Amino acid sequence: MLSTTTPVGAIARKDVTDVLRDRFIIIVMAFLAVAAMTSLVTGAIALATDVATYNDAKATLLALGKSLDSIAAPEFYPLKLLRGAIEQIEIIGAVLGILAGFRAAVSERGRQTLALIMTRPIRQWQFLAGKFVAGAVVLSVGLLAVFGLAAILLDFVSGVGLGASDLLRMAIVWVAASLYVIAFFAFTFVATLWMRRPANALLVSFAVWLLLVLIAPQIGDTLDPDNQVAGGVFKQLHVPKAEQQRIASGYATFETIRNGIEVSSITKHFERFSFAVLGIKDTYTGKPLGPILVEKRGDFLWIFFTTLGLTGVMFTRRLKSNRLTKE
Amino acid sequence: MTENAIEFRALSQAFGNFQAVKALTFDVAEREIFGFLGHNGAGKTTTIHMLTTLARPSSGTALISGHDIVTDPLGVRREIGYVPENVRLYDTLTTWENLVFFARLSGLSDAEDRVSQALEFLTITDLRDRRVGEFSKGMRQRVGLAQAILHHPKVLFLDEPSSGLDPMGMKMLRDLIVRLNDEWNMTIFMNTHLISEIAKTCTSIGVLSHGQLVYHDTIEAVTQRFGDDRSLEELYLSVAPALETEEAA
Amino acid sequence: MPASISGDGARVIARQSLLFIFRERTVALLAGLFVILVLISAYLGWSATSTVNAIYADAVVYLKGVGQPVPPNPVNDISPLSLMRNMSIYVSLIGALSAIVIGYQLIAADRKSGVVPLLGSRPFERATYAHGKIRALVMAVAGLMLVAAVIAVATFIILPTNPLGAVGWISLFTFFGLAFVYMLMFGLLAMATAAWARSESVGLLLPVTVWLTVTFILPSLTSNIHPTAAINPISALAPPPDTGFFHWTGWLFGPISIAESFKYLSAGLLDYLPATAINHSMVPPLPDLLLALTGSAVLAVRALMTMDMTRGDYNA
Repeated sequence: MLSTTTPVGAIARKDVTDVLRDRFIIIVMAFLAVAAMTSLVTGAIALATDVATYNDAKATLLALGKSLDSIAAPEFYPLKLLRGAIEQIEIIGAVLGILAGFRAAVSERGRQTLALIMTRPIRQWQFLAGKFVAGAVVLSVGLLAVFGLAAILLDFVSGVGLGASDLLRMAIVWVAASLYVIAFFAFTFVATLWMRRPANALLVSFAVWLLLVLIAPQIGDTLDPDNQVAGGVFKQLHVPKAEQQRIASGYATFETIRNGIEVSSITKHFERFSFAVLGIKDTYTGKPLGPILVEKRGDFLWIFFTTLGLTGVMFTRRLKSNRLTKE
Repeated sequence: MTENAIEFRALSQAFGNFQAVKALTFDVAEREIFGFLGHNGAGKTTTIHMLTTLARPSSGTALISGHDIVTDPLGVRREIGYVPENVRLYDTLTTWENLVFFARLSGLSDAEDRVSQALEFLTITDLRDRRVGEFSKGMRQRVGLAQAILHHPKVLFLDEPSSGLDPMGMKMLRDLIVRLNDEWNMTIFMNTHLISEIAKTCTSIGVLSHGQLVYHDTIEAVTQRFGDDRSLEELYLSVAPALETEEAA
Repeated sequence: MPASISGDGARVIARQSLLFIFRERTVALLAGLFVILVLISAYLGWSATSTVNAIYADAVVYLKGVGQPVPPNPVNDISPLSLMRNMSIYVSLIGALSAIVIGYQLIAADRKSGVVPLLGSRPFERATYAHGKIRALVMAVAGLMLVAAVIAVATFIILPTNPLGAVGWISLFTFFGLAFVYMLMFGLLAMATAAWARSESVGLLLPVTVWLTVTFILPSLTSNIHPTAAINPISALAPPPDTGFFHWTGWLFGPISIAESFKYLSAGLLDYLPATAINHSMVPPLPDLLLALTGSAVLAVRALMTMDMTRGDYNA
């Protein structure tokens, strides 16, 4: 634990108090929590519908004395219900990071307190580290609350309860989500401290958010030919699996570009990693955690190094005195 | 022999082609209350930004209590206190929380004691647990002054300290400045464009015009030279006649 | 002649505001991004369609080789208009955000530069100010739509394999009219909050929050339950699970789920409305959008008429 008598600790502590008192970031977090829980609940209700449909069909078949082989029982993996919540973290969690980063910088610039801090016998890196630690702590604790709430809700709706392995998986995804959100925090914080007008930095951050979180995955998604035809192009053409792969291999370059656009986005890496770890994607459902982590370590490292890199950039430039005020 | 609190050595600042501060070279002695007078945009704030290590000079340097502002900024920061124009603190924090925070950043191990001491000195103990966000301009100015004197700096920099204060607030501020100089042995460096302020508090004065020092002397010398109530104003108009507007740096 | 002074006043304000905001780099940035994405969406539509075509050609060779029946080319089942389906997504994402920034800047620029008291002491009515600002917004958003329309028209003319009939052209232009209404609505809302808010960030973030809610949260109650479906024109319209709960939420939240109303209408106009798509809302999509537009217009006019002209600038 950082001592508040060190400059980094004192700044971090002051910022955390400031964030809690100001309530703005807390409100955004509550908004994220509501969004995530809404998605979780709608997912649970959708699943309950499937179960009810299955039970009806089962009753009908049993009444007719027929075998149950013809219908598949809906499999129930509680963690799968987190899909909507993860997607909300992808979208609104990133916005939370942006707003927290903006606030962290603008709260010093607008009040001229940056000048008061920088005329104290501390080094610039200590100031930045203090602000960063505060942001990282607030965001990860906020996300912990969101995941905690999700776990309680899952436990409640699933009825079977979450096992230790489920909680471990959620904890791993929480770490990834924290890094993901902190990346947006670091980017906006740096932009807001450096750019001439803070409001412009906020809008630039939103433009980056649009591109990374929404547009890049959207383009990747749209270019997938299978998404162009309802039910998938191969399915409609009745082409067998082996032949599908042969035809698809002819479009390897196209697929490389498509995948390239998708993976340029940190959001996609977070999605791939968390969908695999939580078993949301069918190919990973019910698989042991170890092999999934080995396979998906690339996605995790991408998130990790993006966040690390952006944090590093923060320390590279000297603050300018004409950035000490609001405009 | 008195030592110099501030030694300017060809201190300059340029923004692109615009020379905001031009090779300032003069000294301010210890325990002086120095008034830095000049029109808007003369380069006063730019100078204070350099002296407080907020901005790096484009050439030249200055020594504050023997520490070089370019090569030893941390050494400088241990010796100074700074009150910007329109000081604002963390609105959501109380006076106490704000001040303890800044005391810690000044490296004080007895932060709480120092804060109590400063509050008593400025007679604002009643503001201790109130949030700064609800303060009037004058109250904020005094908390701003408190954060600057917590660590008993040798040199205190004030940028337009009386801007926006009512006559009562200005009087109170002047008394505080004199007491800090007298009781705490502080050297005061004060930017201002108000001649009356200088006449009532300062022991020496410098006049800055378009980035250049055009006059520097003690108040006594000024009074001797001109010899009446309106002496400072006449001095100012005679050394800095240029009234044309200039872009603020 | 007060009437003509008022009309001139509004024109002067609109002209000056437009000149000012397009010099703002943030407005230029978002508007530029919008135009680029419209170009990309035209390219994407073309590229994806031709890839499916090529895959079909490959599959035909294979199917004939093994003597299986050859199904019709799925591309022929797709209307040429649906080439532009990504446009509806970009309007709902970056188009709406650009409109928010434009609406916000139109008012915030005056407030931040401190000219509000100067405007307030000039001899024109408050209504003239409101009139001028709204006119500027309408022109800015219409300008963006015009660029998008030109790109779309050019795409159809350049691609002779996808000819449009008269009905197609009418649908296309109706779509742009609809997109204009949708964007204008967000612009007006942002104008209202920029005029009312005491703090700068609240003025900008309030309409952004409304936009996030209608784009990513409400659809999970009224249509596709997955938030990221908002980025895919087809899956955005997947029906919600067929249960009482979703019928009920769809009916109740439908009227405020305006992003969905917009996507539903767009899908109809651009010919890609999935047969399964249903709208449970208590208010049909078109009246719903028009109601929302009227609502935000009323808010904007009221905010501009009651704006405090004495101080102007925001609290930090």
